[in-house]
Amino acid sequence: MKSFRILFTGISLLFIVLVTVPLINMILTADPQILRSTLGDREVTGSILLTLRAAFWATLVCAVFGIPLAYVLARWDFPAKSLVQGLVDLPVMIPHTAMGIALLMVYGKKFFLGRWFGELGIGFVGTEVGISLAMAYVSLPFLVNAARDGILAVDPKLERVARTLGASPWQTFFRVTIPLSWRPILSGAIMMWARGISEFGAVVILTYHPMVAPILVWERFEAYGLKYAKPVAVLLIILCLIIFASLRWLAGRNQEL
Amino acid sequence: MLRLQDISLKLGRFRLRRVNLNVRAGEYRVLLGPTGTGKTVLIETIAGLHRPDDGRIFLDGRDVTTVAPEARHLGVVYQDYALFPHLNVFNNIAFGLRLQGDHGRRLRDAVHEISAFLDVGHILDRTPTHLSGGERQRVALARVLVLKPLMLLLDEPLSAVDRLTRDRLQKELKRIHNELGLTILHITHDLNEAFLLADRLTMMKDGAVLQEGTPEEISKHPASRFVAQLLGIENFLPARVEEGKRLFLEGLGAVDPHILSPWPSGHGKIFITIPGWAVEFPDGGETGQYWWRGTMKIVTVVRTSTSVEVRLGSEKNTSLRTAFSRREAAQLPFELVPGNSIEVGLPKKGIHWVARDETA
Repeated sequence: MKSFRILFTGISLLFIVLVTVPLINMILTADPQILRSTLGDREVTGSILLTLRAAFWATLVCAVFGIPLAYVLARWDFPAKSLVQGLVDLPVMIPHTAMGIALLMVYGKKFFLGRWFGELGIGFVGTEVGISLAMAYVSLPFLVNAARDGILAVDPKLERVARTLGASPWQTFFRVTIPLSWRPILSGAIMMWARGISEFGAVVILTYHPMVAPILVWERFEAYGLKYAKPVAVLLIILCLIIFASLRWLAGRNQEL
Repeated sequence: MLRLQDISLKLGRFRLRRVNLNVRAGEYRVLLGPTGTGKTVLIETIAGLHRPDDGRIFLDGRDVTTVAPEARHLGVVYQDYALFPHLNVFNNIAFGLRLQGDHGRRLRDAVHEISAFLDVGHILDRTPTHLSGGERQRVALARVLVLKPLMLLLDEPLSAVDRLTRDRLQKELKRIHNELGLTILHITHDLNEAFLLADRLTMMKDGAVLQEGTPEEISKHPASRFVAQLLGIENFLPARVEEGKRLFLEGLGAVDPHILSPWPSGHGKIFITIPGWAVEFPDGGETGQYWWRGTMKIVTVVRTSTSVEVRLGSEKNTSLRTAFSRREAAQLPFELVPGNSIEVGLPKKGIHWVARDETA
């Protein structure tokens, strides 16, 4: 019993250290002088803002489509359900550069979908919309799976009771299902957003310019070396940690009803 | 009020088989059957939560088979009460009223009135997690009663609470039924609960109705061995009916056919049913005509009662069972000792019969 506890505590601690050491090391070894000047670099701040914004839109639009899909997966039984579930998980497995190329083929000008949107004035190559699209495709599973698990955790009996008390399916969804599952849904949205911010592979294929932060880090590393890439990376990490921690805190607050 | 006509439904492992049911306005109907018989599915089908594969549902003469649950105006109370955990008691009770568009003073008055009726006025701002089992049930009742439903559908509403609470809630249900004149369909697997509350009983097994009638009717003439078992009858003596109105108990011999009424004409093999309480034991006086000697076996001893079986012959089925309370046991002229040889007799009352060839 005692050896069990010691071993598991030890393994967990080791793991946490391995995960956090690179981040902590990077932040501690950053030159404050350069960090400050990087903060004033319009290209850097613009790129970070673009990244946050594009990931936000991707998450918001996907919430509109992803939550109903999550509901369907949680509540209904239909023949190809496991296939649909597999499709949702697919982006996790496919290399993101491959995903980017697939998106380019469909949303580029050579395919009817890309042309259609083009006629509506929406282009995906080299635009902010393209960035959001690439982020959405690769990070959607985080939102859909979290929302599905959240909805699964709501006792279907509560929804049934609501119906017998006079609620339509819509009213039941908005007054019972969502109020009881918003926490995991929000947590999934945060995960999706965070995953979108960190996306490189799919975005770089679809839209190199304007540059999202991960691409900017890459470009500075390629063109000027580690010394100039590092402050941007540090800035990105700090910002992400702050936002992530505060949203997590928000989502976890008042956990006890 | 409520009429089910040949309702059939297959839902996962549950099945309803051509269920017919007719509940009159103002009636307290109890549906009694073992767990896993599809009773909950039946209630949910009546409430409109499942569409039957076949058959029709009528409410007040109107065909509601395809009507959405929110338009049926039925009050459903589940076994675990299904209170909304994100809403306090007030908002749970107000849930349906708000959907109807009630608000402000009207809403508050309606909630307070029903809360007073069900004695939950002092817990209106608590959340369901902070309520006792009895409080939860009263809140669940308030939540449906405030909407003045056509009838109440209660799904094992008393099986999740302790015995003391259950006794109190049974009285409460009786009071609601009497004071509001509501039609109630209550499903349970508890025999005592069923007999205490029911105006009429419907016996169910494997998604099919076995028998319907008042508790007295069903007690007197259970339609099958299964129904008799549900009613708690312990003794089933295999018997043969022969021409010329002759009756033979297997392994025990011929007995007076007049012990059976009505006569099981058209049947060959039957079971004579004898409730445990009716079995005759020696009381110190003379024993009568139909007494047999057998060996005593103690089946169980629970807190205040001892369950006894007397083996009458070599055959497994010929035995009579009964239970003695501690008070009765103390006054018996013989000892409750395993292996004791005593005489037991057929009673003059309480004997009935069920067919033996049935499969149910």
